[in-house]
Amino acid sequence: MESTVTRHIVDRWIGWTLRIGVWGSATLMVLGLALAWFSPGTLRLPSENPHPADVLHSLLSGSLDPVMLMFAGLLFLMLTPFLRVLTAVVGFAAEKDRTFVVVALVVFTMLLAELVFSLR
Amino acid sequence: MSADSFLLLIVGGIATGTIGAMLGLGGGVFLTPFLVLVFNLPMHQAIATSILAVIATSSAGAAMNVERRIVNLRLGMVLEIATVIGAIFGGLTANVLSGEVLSRIFAVLLLCVSFMMLWRMRHSREVSTPIDAGVFPASFKDEAAGEVVSYSVARVPWVMCVSLIAGNISGLLGVGGGIFKVPAMNIISGIPLKAATATSNFMIGVTASASAFIYFAHGHLNPLIASPAALGVLLGSFLGVRINRRIKGEYLTWIFAAALFLISLKMFWR
Repeated sequence: MESTVTRHIVDRWIGWTLRIGVWGSATLMVLGLALAWFSPGTLRLPSENPHPADVLHSLLSGSLDPVMLMFAGLLFLMLTPFLRVLTAVVGFAAEKDRTFVVVALVVFTMLLAELVFSLR
Repeated sequence: MSADSFLLLIVGGIATGTIGAMLGLGGGVFLTPFLVLVFNLPMHQAIATSILAVIATSSAGAAMNVERRIVNLRLGMVLEIATVIGAIFGGLTANVLSGEVLSRIFAVLLLCVSFMMLWRMRHSREVSTPIDAGVFPASFKDEAAGEVVSYSVARVPWVMCVSLIAGNISGLLGVGGGIFKVPAMNIISGIPLKAATATSNFMIGVTASASAFIYFAHGHLNPLIASPAALGVLLGSFLGVRINRRIKGEYLTWIFAAALFLISLKMFWR
């Protein structure tokens, strides 16, 4: 009985992580688009893509810059698969499946290496 | 960027997302040509936009399929090792190639996809690998047939090779690569078509994100293009799945295979 309860924890957690990622990012993008729609003259596209830390800072400062909101939505979407793999690591650990904790960690490490290498 | 352009991107995204979902191809195959040929967008920006759309549709679809346990989670995680390696090298390669070269490679891919669409109509494996004959045993409830389907996975190394190539194509050209992975999982490994499709779709989001930051760091992600297009494709994918339940027919596949053939010619000689 214990195994049927603990098994499939990871499925549910991954399902919720993906939902939060998709709808969270879509909300940010819709908000950015709506603001851009009503004030198209004020749109300022940076000369190069901003660092994710700058986007987060803009978001936390309460700025309603449409372009930054869209960037935030896109970055949140790009990070959703990372969160999904991280959730799998935790989920497999909760299911006590050590082999797949390692497999998920290998995938996560590769993704993280690509992220760090790209943004350095 | 005018309000009309925003609207056209959303509508274009919905249309390409709907067609992609109806044909089981994902949005990227049609979105990139739309952005390049209609919006005259540079190839790298079109690919970056397509990657974002692919992540959105894969994540939305996978959320449902994981909870219904149609996805073979453990197989997906193992194959992701191959797709992520392929995608990282694909993304790095794309960013040293010119837009013209990428456009021609994309044209060849479209040609392959159109042939694969027709080929898979005739070729699929009905009998899956018995549950005790392979690895990663799994079962799921087939709602349409009203029965529980049990299977296992054979010849994993072969499917890993195909996944490596599919991941590379994804990173290089911004498409999901399911058109290659699903037949391989079904025919080589004996995975039921529904589970193969759901598992492939589940992997595509991670594969796409493996190259997304490479494009982002190179400045190829334009939020004014990517946001409306990704939202449009996401809406279109929901619509496509609903339409797909009502319309079935080989003629649709033939029409869009022919359309892809023509688009590939246009992409090659643009």
